[in-house]
Amino acid sequence: MAEKKTISQKARNKSFLSWIYGNLTCFSQEHMQTFGYLASMLPIVDELYDTDDQKVEALSTYTTFFNTEPQIGSMVVGLTASLEEARANGEAIDDETINGLRAGLMGPLAGLGDSIIVGTFIPILLGIALGLSKGGSVLGPLFYVVVWNLIMYFGMKFAYDQGYSLGSSAVEALVGPESEALRSSIVMIGTMVIGSVAATWINVTTSLNIAGVDIQTTLNGIFPKVLNLLFVYLCWWLMTKKKLSPTVVMLILVVVALVGVVIGVFNPGLSY
Amino acid sequence: MAINAFQAALLGLFACLASLPGMAGTTVGNYTLGRPLVAGLVVGVILGDVQTGIIVGAAIQLVYIALVTPGGTVSADVRAVSYIGIPLAILAIKAYGLDPSSVEAASQAAAIGAAVGTLGTVLFYGTATMNLVWQGIGWRAMESKEWGRIKKTIPMVDFVFPWVSHILFSFIPTFFICMAGESMVGIMKEYLPMNGIPMMTLFTVGTLLPTVGVAILCKQVITKPLDWVTFAFGFILAGALGLNLIVSAVVAVFFAVLNYQLQQAKNVRLAAATSGNVSADDEEEEDI
Repeated sequence: MAEKKTISQKARNKSFLSWIYGNLTCFSQEHMQTFGYLASMLPIVDELYDTDDQKVEALSTYTTFFNTEPQIGSMVVGLTASLEEARANGEAIDDETINGLRAGLMGPLAGLGDSIIVGTFIPILLGIALGLSKGGSVLGPLFYVVVWNLIMYFGMKFAYDQGYSLGSSAVEALVGPESEALRSSIVMIGTMVIGSVAATWINVTTSLNIAGVDIQTTLNGIFPKVLNLLFVYLCWWLMTKKKLSPTVVMLILVVVALVGVVIGVFNPGLSY
Repeated sequence: MAINAFQAALLGLFACLASLPGMAGTTVGNYTLGRPLVAGLVVGVILGDVQTGIIVGAAIQLVYIALVTPGGTVSADVRAVSYIGIPLAILAIKAYGLDPSSVEAASQAAAIGAAVGTLGTVLFYGTATMNLVWQGIGWRAMESKEWGRIKKTIPMVDFVFPWVSHILFSFIPTFFICMAGESMVGIMKEYLPMNGIPMMTLFTVGTLLPTVGVAILCKQVITKPLDWVTFAFGFILAGALGLNLIVSAVVAVFFAVLNYQLQQAKNVRLAAATSGNVSADDEEEEDI
């Protein structure tokens, strides 16, 4: 009986670094993260199996399509590393089990990662960074570069290690009720910060003047910067209720701007 | 102000690193170097005007504050926005003699950035399509079933060959458009005077565009009508009460903590209720 095989720390590091760097470098619409996944599993498979035939066979498992939010998805790579280790030790895990698991996790993790990392965490960081950038200060971009990369490096490492050591229970913890409470709270911060961003950095004003009354001043007296809010709501309504793409909404705004300028609702007050 | 060949080449290199999917990876490439605010700093350093770079980057960043690309569908290309759009916007601001910190400069930057970003999606599809060639090489290696060949080829396919796609679809377009930028902006200035309808429309569009960026984000986080109250609360903190973004974020954390405790309390009650049901069920089974 051969002794139990375990993946060395070195191979796991190599696998993790291949993923954090190369998850999307060879992207195509047909096989989005498939080659990133192959490159990350290569050091694992190379170490666990003795013969070349076994290595080829094991790596072939990962030729099926893979795509998720790649940063949170490092957990899946860690998870399959632990499954591969179990398989190399003779446990009955077939390709279907591994690919079934991968396919099953792709969707939920993509939804979670897109909404929490890309849709909330990045905008919060950018919101704060924009605040620090007023007047062209380098503090803003530097803040974003440092905080984002540190958190993501250690966060992805943590996710990979959790996936490896806890297996599928790590993923269950991510989608359970406990994390739902955390998720809704993070989204709440994101919603408020982006509300503040909309009030601070957007500047929609009207030059409309009815019978000597400056409409913009009147509006500011009722609800400061209300036009920002109305336009955000209009765009949101066009995208969610009318199912228009952002590009089409932008084109609609071009028309709104043109008509507004011609009839005198908008006037950026340009002069040389 | 003109961009020389060396500067244009550097911008082209950063375009290769930053695009989605860029050669600096997802986290460092797309989500760091590809963010217009960070690119504003990079472009500012390359062109020798950091302050204008960051101001322009910040203005364009607003339009793309939530660039979520579910399933690889893109509405804008980050390399085009960041390393073609920002240099062109800087050139335009200088050519029109605008004060970089003015609302007008920000509006013009946002409009140019969005136009370039939308047209730039062609670069995204170009890169992705060309990567099919490298993936083809990878598939042939896998089919050969020779481990030695696979072990050498897969890292080449994932880490090295895509550089060729980027030289064609990131470096070359960025290099030539930035080199031609000054004369393009010059023509624009000649035919589109500041007080004409087209320019007034362009600037107005620039002030309206960031609302699309924020709305894309709202689409992500607002799932029920009451969430608009949360959004409006954040809006009022900054708009009516005049808090800056950092203080607003701290206030938001306070309410998030309250929300978390509320949700957790709900979970505990729910767990207690379900475990109560389970024991009740058990008793029933025993009765039977």
